[in-house]
Amino acid sequence: MKQLLKVSTADFKLIFRDPSLRIFLFLPALIFLVINIFLPYLISKFEGVNEYVSYVLIVATIENTQMFGFIYSMVLIEEKETEVARVYGVLPVSKMWFVLFRLIIPCLITALLTWAILLIQPFYSLAIMPSLVFSILSGLIVPVYVLGITVLSRNKMQGMIWIKIFNIAVVLPIVAFFVPDSFTHVFGILPSHWAFQGLSDIIDGGSFFVNAIIGFAYFLILLTVAVRKFSKIHFV
Amino acid sequence: MIKVNNLSFTYPRASSPVLQNLNFEISEGEIFGFLGPSGAGKSTTQKILYKILHNFTGEIHIKDKPLGQWGKEYFEQIGVGFELPNHYLKLTGKENLALFASFYNKNRLLKVTDLFEMVGLQDSIHKKVETYSKGMKMRLNFIRAIMNDPDILFFDEPTAGLDPVNGHKIKEYIVNLKNQGKTIFITTHDMTTADEICDRVAFIVDGKLRVTEAPSTLKFRHGENQVKVEAKGKQPAKFPLEHLGQNAGFLEFISTNELLRINTMEATLEEVFIQVTGKALKA
Repeated sequence: MKQLLKVSTADFKLIFRDPSLRIFLFLPALIFLVINIFLPYLISKFEGVNEYVSYVLIVATIENTQMFGFIYSMVLIEEKETEVARVYGVLPVSKMWFVLFRLIIPCLITALLTWAILLIQPFYSLAIMPSLVFSILSGLIVPVYVLGITVLSRNKMQGMIWIKIFNIAVVLPIVAFFVPDSFTHVFGILPSHWAFQGLSDIIDGGSFFVNAIIGFAYFLILLTVAVRKFSKIHFV
Repeated sequence: MIKVNNLSFTYPRASSPVLQNLNFEISEGEIFGFLGPSGAGKSTTQKILYKILHNFTGEIHIKDKPLGQWGKEYFEQIGVGFELPNHYLKLTGKENLALFASFYNKNRLLKVTDLFEMVGLQDSIHKKVETYSKGMKMRLNFIRAIMNDPDILFFDEPTAGLDPVNGHKIKEYIVNLKNQGKTIFITTHDMTTADEICDRVAFIVDGKLRVTEAPSTLKFRHGENQVKVEAKGKQPAKFPLEHLGQNAGFLEFISTNELLRINTMEATLEEVFIQVTGKALKA
């Protein structure tokens, strides 16, 4: 626990001391402003926007995961580029647990911020517990996203390209709401799809359990694969 | 302390092994140098020994225990000095060290401020590492490797890229560690460093060990058994070492000329390396 705090403290120092990363910490504030001020204003001016509010809310909550997704990807890629990662390879700590524990804090903060967005937004009265479950599910995007990008990138330049690709992959399942029902789950190959569908169920007042269970199972499988792959190559 | 038998290793997807049947032992309190050109397998051997690379064949025993049986407690016993400085540049020197120190058992940890003082970095302890010179970063590498007071130390090219002053300091620190009883395994292609600080060296070329011996023994064995005497205004003369004190020619030469220097004709370590392996180190 003490090690986790030390590493998280160091991570946050690295983030705050790098202006290009620090600016990303304002992304949730921007999302809060869009959802709570800009969107209501837009609806008051253009009534037609009203029918798309649920989609905007879904995309907004998923976009919230991009903050720590981007920041931690950059931190870990820099760690790889500067070979600091190799130092962790010779420390008396289990590599797999170290990776998991290290990403718990950004995962938790993302989940809490998502939960706050859902509870504070002015459009729907969402149940507290289902919202929390969905927020945790969407929080799991962060470690999968970060580990995936870090495994695939050798340097920051490659990292930026993979971040673009991952950003599209994370948001793409929104298209599932605009295609015939029989094609909806074609997007299920992308894990965020199950989070999108779960939140849609919560907004509609329906049961979100099936989507949540599939989502959690899928994320945990991806996370296991990503942690194993990452542990094999990051510390060498 | 370290025993390696028939160690071979092939990188995944590589067609040929990078290490082939290596055999060597390193005793407690010894500085052992692995010498060879780039790509010879020096760093790979170290990476296997500090458990970053797996899937090797052969046997490795550390403190009489198979390497595979060591768990994470192994890393309490070892320290690794990497070839290149690798630190969080946005953190201060102290923050860097404190972060990694938090993973070790407190009982054996050396005091951070003492470590900085030891390598003359006490004035830069609170400065961000991005402001450090390469020599300072390498000294930070060095104290990070020893902060857990390990019994076994691995240094990869410890003086590479350093100016003579910083290179000399690092060599002094390594010899001090040996004097404290630490077992030290260094890789280098710098023959001077190896000659100065290693108790024994092993030549590795193309993944194979060619010879393992003390530098002085190698230099003597591969040198000429003669002394070379230089005198003012005279051509240098050579005399056999055997019965030198009774050699009339030698005695006459040194008593009738103004001597400039007398040297034994032992080979340099680099010459020995070329003789033994047929390859130059800096090729």
